[in-house]
Amino acid sequence: MLRVTFKGLFAHKARFFLTGLAVIIGIAFLAGSLVLTDTIKQTFDDLFSTVYKGTDVAVRSRNAIKQPFGGADLRPSVPASLVEKIGNVDGVDQEGGKPVAFGQLTEFSAQFVNKNGKSIGHPGRGAPTLGFIWNPFPRLSPWRLQPGGHPPEANNQIVVDAGVANTGNFKIGDRVSLTFNSGPVTRATYKIVGIAKFGTADSPGGATAAIFTQAEAQRLNQKEGRFDIITVAAKPGVSQEQLARRVRTALGNPAFQVITGAQLTKETQNQIERGLSFFNTFLLVFAGVALFVGSFIIFNTFSIIVAQRGRELALMRAIGASSRQVLGSVILESLVVGLLASAVGLGVGVVLALGLKALLAGFGVKLPAASLVIRGRTVVVAMIVGTVVTLVAAVFPARRAARMPPIAALRAVASDTSGGSVIRIVIGSFVTLLGVALLLTGLFASAGIALVGVGAVLVFLGVAFLGPVIARPVSRIIGWPLSRYRGVSGNLARANAARNPKRTASTAAALMIGVALVALITVLASSTRESIGAAIDKSFRADFIVSGQSGGPDQGFSPALGKKIAALPQVGATTALRASQFEIKGSGQLLFAADPKAVLKFIDFGAVKGHPIRELGPHQIAISKDVANSHNWKVGTVLDARVQTGREKLQVGSIFERGTQQGLGDYFVSLDAFERFYENQIDFNVFANLKPGVSAEEGRRAIARVADAYPSAKVQDIAQYKVSQESQIDTFVNLIYVMLALAILIAGIGIANTLALSIVERTREIGLLRAVGMSRPQLKSTIRWEAVIVALLGTLLGLVIGLFFGWAVVKSLSSQGVSEFAAPGGQLFVIVLIAALLAILFAYFPARRAAKLDVLSAISTE
Amino acid sequence: MSAATPAASAPLTKTAAARAIEASKIYGQGEAEVRALDAITVEFEASRFTAIMGPSGSGKSTLLHCLAGLDRVTSGQIFLGDVEISAASEKQLTLIRRDRIGFVFQAFNLIPTLNAEENMTLPLALAGRKPDPAWFQQIVGTVGLADRLKHRPSELSGGQQQRVAVARALISRPDLIFADEPTGNLDSRSSGEVLSFMRDAVDHLGQTIVMVTHDPTAASHADRVVFLADGKIVDEMSSPTADGVLDRMKHFGE
Repeated sequence: MLRVTFKGLFAHKARFFLTGLAVIIGIAFLAGSLVLTDTIKQTFDDLFSTVYKGTDVAVRSRNAIKQPFGGADLRPSVPASLVEKIGNVDGVDQEGGKPVAFGQLTEFSAQFVNKNGKSIGHPGRGAPTLGFIWNPFPRLSPWRLQPGGHPPEANNQIVVDAGVANTGNFKIGDRVSLTFNSGPVTRATYKIVGIAKFGTADSPGGATAAIFTQAEAQRLNQKEGRFDIITVAAKPGVSQEQLARRVRTALGNPAFQVITGAQLTKETQNQIERGLSFFNTFLLVFAGVALFVGSFIIFNTFSIIVAQRGRELALMRAIGASSRQVLGSVILESLVVGLLASAVGLGVGVVLALGLKALLAGFGVKLPAASLVIRGRTVVVAMIVGTVVTLVAAVFPARRAARMPPIAALRAVASDTSGGSVIRIVIGSFVTLLGVALLLTGLFASAGIALVGVGAVLVFLGVAFLGPVIARPVSRIIGWPLSRYRGVSGNLARANAARNPKRTASTAAALMIGVALVALITVLASSTRESIGAAIDKSFRADFIVSGQSGGPDQGFSPALGKKIAALPQVGATTALRASQFEIKGSGQLLFAADPKAVLKFIDFGAVKGHPIRELGPHQIAISKDVANSHNWKVGTVLDARVQTGREKLQVGSIFERGTQQGLGDYFVSLDAFERFYENQIDFNVFANLKPGVSAEEGRRAIARVADAYPSAKVQDIAQYKVSQESQIDTFVNLIYVMLALAILIAGIGIANTLALSIVERTREIGLLRAVGMSRPQLKSTIRWEAVIVALLGTLLGLVIGLFFGWAVVKSLSSQGVSEFAAPGGQLFVIVLIAALLAILFAYFPARRAAKLDVLSAISTE
Repeated sequence: MSAATPAASAPLTKTAAARAIEASKIYGQGEAEVRALDAITVEFEASRFTAIMGPSGSGKSTLLHCLAGLDRVTSGQIFLGDVEISAASEKQLTLIRRDRIGFVFQAFNLIPTLNAEENMTLPLALAGRKPDPAWFQQIVGTVGLADRLKHRPSELSGGQQQRVAVARALISRPDLIFADEPTGNLDSRSSGEVLSFMRDAVDHLGQTIVMVTHDPTAASHADRVVFLADGKIVDEMSSPTADGVLDRMKHFGE
């Protein structure tokens, strides 16, 4: 029996290659994702252990404000005088007669301008452009000066990283311009006095680095006399914990947090890991989709093979093989396919990870040339997942094979034309409805994303199970225009597609999944776009809006620009818009700020209860109706909030109608309050109206002239602003499309595979058609149209499911500001078109193969 | 009507519907060489029913396949009317098969996804033509399946399926119908039905039929029997009877 199995496998290499391909692609993606994220993680782990290797104790502010989206905490700075205090603590090491304790600032944005006046790198996109302080103690610093240079000694001197020295062609002694997006200085020129390597790498992960004196960095950040963190080295024999305890006692102030170097390293590594885990999950989801789609292909292939080999299997039964042996033989076959494909997939995945790494390098994220990290876990997971998926998909066909009665050997092999049974309808409907219920519960009862995923998978399985019931009538309907207008080829294609509903349905189901996800993303993207547009239309009005490059709250420009714009003779009302993180009831939230007197000219908050917004005082906060309702806050309630500078008691002054749901924020304070709350002031928008009689062109020129000095600022009228806000999600959406293309590709392979197998089954029929005068082009077009019908069946099912998913997700996001549901007909039609073209493409090889069949031998095939 | 119709389809001149001239078909090379056809020269007259007989391996099926343009001769010429099909391209052969030749095979003659009517009109549909309604009605009347036109092949008996196959061969009014053991899979009653239908097609519709068979009774329905052995024509007989054919066959049997 074993030998028969292997002979069978060997005899159908091409067929099993195609089956295996579905697994290979999925596993390659899975393994590639794991290898890539492991490699990145290892790289950063190594990096930060190097960075903090000599740091034994670090001191910073205890007050840490959570970021609403899980980013880094925001802490206030500490006074520079702490450095001296810490330096006097017994146990702090001495170097050259000075204690090894040094004040640092969090890295800030500092962008090089090359010799042609162009910026090197781009804040908010690609690798960061960073500014640092030169640390004179090598053991506290990852930076290593290259021979020939010296540390910055005057405030107009800098050291640059070896990477940017290379790309910008900078040499020691050169003068170089830098631009800054916050603080009082927007552009300044420095003399390069040294070139440094980051450990052994040219630069920290591809970022550019400008390294200043302490005083210059403090001036650029408006942090004169302050530091963000102080790092300290211990004397030999004094442990990190011992020194931390002593420093804590010496400072005697709970506002300062004293942690060990090990804790700091761990914290930074964890932070990176959290960021990576999102990236990892993102990739793994697509690997899962690919495998899910692939399992349909495997299921289908094994079903067809079992059906075709029905006579052979029955013959084996007739000559004495037990049904268990037949089952075993088919299972063994799938095991071999699964193991081989997983192994190949693993190999391809490693190559894929290399490719992705190179791709990241292309975007400026240069990982050190460390070798790929292939953990045992990756190998085990890839092998097990690939094999199990294959086995599970093959189990049902195998059981069918085992049930083949010996008498079937004596009968002609009849193809399975059955479609729906009552049991199928009942089970299929039940699974589908259960899936819908779980999905909706997950979305609307906030019961977790896992439930949504399970629900979606059940919907796909349920509909796939119902597939055979609808495959025949629906393919008849889809094929109607074909048989009407494409003559006998169309007619036969339609009949062939409807001939074996189970096969047609499971082939279509693979495509259905991919299309449903594409449709979901399309609906989500266009709904988000529409919602952003609608929010801007409804709530924003301004002649001009100046925005930071990425448009988000993190990226902005110095408030000096807003002041210059306000001073322009062409400009009437203006306000800056700022945002930062603050904590209320222990949860991180976004706090927005603008000039209360001017903001109503630009932003429509809807109906306002309590004091008018324009009267908002420095100790008051305006909140949206939604958060007021959910926390039962009223006008006059005093809220306990934490901001960067500490605790604040804020009285609710006004409750406004339009919050996050309408594309605005939920918490709003005056600029005066904001300036008290935060050390750094960065505008992310400046709204400006022109004085009466000033033409738009005139106004734009005037504003652009002052904005020119601020490389991160962009001047737009409201229409341009709307377009740029709407298109913000495009990059991300396109990335998802690329990932989903994988699932569609696998489904395409499935179509090709099913067609190829069906053609084997219909060899005689094809011979007969050719004998009675069907030309090769006619035969090819018959097969192509069959593929198109199957593809359209899958696409239509996918569209229906995708639209439903999209609708449900959009509705569940209404509290996040996605207010509009938009199903873009044009784009959805393009999906249908692409699916049909894809079917034609993937039908090419089966069609060619069918057309090449020798007529005479085809007719005489058994 | 039956007198007018053949005049339209059959050539008036008494030229042959098909001819083979010095036709040879050789498989393999050297020691393994097999001469399936050995320089055969034979003519098949129009509006006649000819049977080709011979023991297994005599080359009768090869001859039929070569005459029908399904297979190519190694040397010599094959003519269908005035057209030399041994020199035609694959594309031309497809058109010739579609427009000028009808086929009936031993089994699996019909496309399972098409009903009886669609199967009958398949060659016309492939050519993008509509059947002549009068002609179609006449064939359906002769074939005797007027009430089964919408049935799928799986819903028809073996004899009915073969009659549909003959009707399909007739529908495009081909110059020639080739039948390869058309009754090989049928019981004697169904065989009789199919053979009388073919006989009718020759007598009343003026059709030319060449049939390969090894059944003397089937051969007795033909106007003429050609006997093949070892790739050569060894004998022939006009107006055969079953006994006469059987008698003759015994001579080459050994």
